[in-house]
Amino acid sequence: MNKFQLGMHYKKVGFIVTIASFVLLIAIKYIDNPEWLKPFLHGILLIGLLLISVSKEKIEDEYIDSLRSQSYRLAFILAIVYALVQPIVNFAVSYVLQQDNEYESFNYFQVLFFMLIVQLLFFWKLKKQH
Amino acid sequence: MRNTLKVQRAILDLTQEDLAKKIGVSRQTINSIEKNRYVPSTVLALKLSTLFKIPVNAFFSLEDGD
Repeated sequence: MNKFQLGMHYKKVGFIVTIASFVLLIAIKYIDNPEWLKPFLHGILLIGLLLISVSKEKIEDEYIDSLRSQSYRLAFILAIVYALVQPIVNFAVSYVLQQDNEYESFNYFQVLFFMLIVQLLFFWKLKKQH
Repeated sequence: MRNTLKVQRAILDLTQEDLAKKIGVSRQTINSIEKNRYVPSTVLALKLSTLFKIPVNAFFSLEDGD
């Protein structure tokens, strides 16, 4: 697992990248933008969250490693549940509202974003608990 | 698994922070072991054993259901 970890200072970089791309994603809703910009910013946002996720804690010992593993396990399972349930919910909502929208599948961004957010929040919660 | 880490720590007159520094972990790790929320690895158990100068069995013991 240690081989997939970055130094502690990458967490700060991750936060800056995540917040900057999030702000830009909101900003481009109000201005004309090229078609490639939104998927590009989605990608940057995921990279930012990944940097936070894989950067080391101040003291990265075996206990933190076990908390990290727990958070990855939960995020993995919930992301699969999300990927399975989300299209059904989408379909049900559009059926109930009698919208003529074509059946839209979720995109990879939604699932990966959900997975990373669940992992980070659960990891922080576990760290706070102990 | 039960442990008497707190007692051993008191014998050596160490705080959680002191013990954590001596064996290279965080204070939260020591706290979690003492509260039986975390079972340490063999490596960590042996480090504690070396520090306390007693065998691992003397401060870790199995509970029913382990």
